[in-house]
Amino acid sequence: MINWEKFLNIDRRWLYLLIAVVVVVPFFIRMGLPVVPSDEVRSIYNLVDSLGPDNAIFIGWDFDPGTEAENQPMGVAVLRHALDRHVPVFITAVSPLGQGLAEQGAASVFDTRIPGNFVYVPWAEWEPFRAAGYVGRDSLESAWKAAGNSLPEGARGWVFEGVDFALLGYLPYFGLVVLGMGTSIATQYPTDAYGNNLREMPMLRAHKNLREIDLAVTLAGSTACMYWVVYGTSRVGLPVAFGVTAVMATDYYPYIQSGQIVGMMGGLRGAAEYEVLEHEGGHTETTGKAYRGMDVQSLAHILIILFVILGNIAYFAGGFHKKTALKSGR
Amino acid sequence: MYETIGLWVAAILTLAVFSFLYKENPLYRFAEHVVVGSSLGYTIVITYQRVLYPRLVEPVFLHGESLVLIVPAMLGLLYVTRFFPRIAWLSRYPMAFLLGMGMGMAFPYDMQAYILRQIQATLIPLYTPGAPWYNTVGAVVIVLGTLAGLIYFFFSKPHKGPFFGFGSKVGIWIIMIGFGATFGFTVMGRISLLIGRVQFLLSDWLGLLH
Repeated sequence: MINWEKFLNIDRRWLYLLIAVVVVVPFFIRMGLPVVPSDEVRSIYNLVDSLGPDNAIFIGWDFDPGTEAENQPMGVAVLRHALDRHVPVFITAVSPLGQGLAEQGAASVFDTRIPGNFVYVPWAEWEPFRAAGYVGRDSLESAWKAAGNSLPEGARGWVFEGVDFALLGYLPYFGLVVLGMGTSIATQYPTDAYGNNLREMPMLRAHKNLREIDLAVTLAGSTACMYWVVYGTSRVGLPVAFGVTAVMATDYYPYIQSGQIVGMMGGLRGAAEYEVLEHEGGHTETTGKAYRGMDVQSLAHILIILFVILGNIAYFAGGFHKKTALKSGR
Repeated sequence: MYETIGLWVAAILTLAVFSFLYKENPLYRFAEHVVVGSSLGYTIVITYQRVLYPRLVEPVFLHGESLVLIVPAMLGLLYVTRFFPRIAWLSRYPMAFLLGMGMGMAFPYDMQAYILRQIQATLIPLYTPGAPWYNTVGAVVIVLGTLAGLIYFFFSKPHKGPFFGFGSKVGIWIIMIGFGATFGFTVMGRISLLIGRVQFLLSDWLGLLH
């Protein structure tokens, strides 16, 4: 005879232990469960893929460390894709911690110890080329190569700060910042996060305000993503895509249907889908961290579904739906 | 060297936070306080570096330019009066300024983004010739779901009869389905956060994953 009450009052630490096992083991025994990209992620990918060196995008690192596991892989995936297409990328942050995370994310893309990454050329390093008039991407790269610079083995290309990439960083009252950038990016960010004059940067000269920006991808763990829609899309028609945590995803599906956002990456799954598309498109040699977590995610979901089913069986089989009180578990 | 120290500190703090799953303990408390303290410290430094220094200290106090910036700086300083009960009322001025500015700035754009465009998205044809059948089903669900949800939150009439009674019942079902979807996404989100930390421990810290 099963003691259903005891079953329902099981010490929750056993459940934590089971979850821990299910989360750790699949990292060592890879199953490679398929990840099928959804339409809302594919639309972001397609838009970035259609852009080139004459366009520009913003990536808003609008989250804090609490949601890093979900948002960081999205940012890294989009940044990597844009840089591979030579699309200039401006990076902003709603919070000071977001700026630190953006630097971390960019550093992971510029770490040349790992094959498939990019070589970062800081603003000051290519100053002589700038002075010689090489500011166009192609001419600059040719001159850079002619000067004897060569790519390390496995690297995908150079990223010139100010031409391909600018970390604008954190500013407070970000709604006002987006509103201001609708008129001029440089008035809001006279310098980048490292103190370099933004007005001198070729990518800013070509894209002076948000009307000249082709996409803003905001990665958020809070409602901060709406700044871009409220003050960017509504005011200057800026195309915006969301990379939000899974908890928030259902809140923002209506904005896809209303056409206010281009697409949405929801949680780690959204990031994994973007990584799959990127890999299929030949922009990366391997998929990233998010994809690696998907086997684990699937198994953990199966375990939780089992918990819910078993809990319900015990609840009804024990007749607790007829009783008024059930001893609470630990 | 510094990278290795950073990895170990992050790993130990992660394990300290996980120790809460067994039971509350001083190690967990310590980690919690370190997170709050270090985040605040980092925020203060970045805010000074990115905002206060280049936009106030440098132009006004080092170059003697843009003296008008002293006015908003003084207004901001009034927040500090919160610590002195006798003059604490002065802190209401910067608050009033921010509230007024925020409301004025947000109102037209918020109306547009949160309300008008969302209403517009529900004013759709139920049937579009040539469109696939599932588009029609989707359109019906959106229109009827929105109406039923609104009926549920209409409290000026009792929820009885074929319109308000049935409508509010459908409305609560629609809302419950919405909660279910949100809960599913929440579970996914929490597991994702755990995956992120486990990946960090196994890969970055222990180097067991390649």
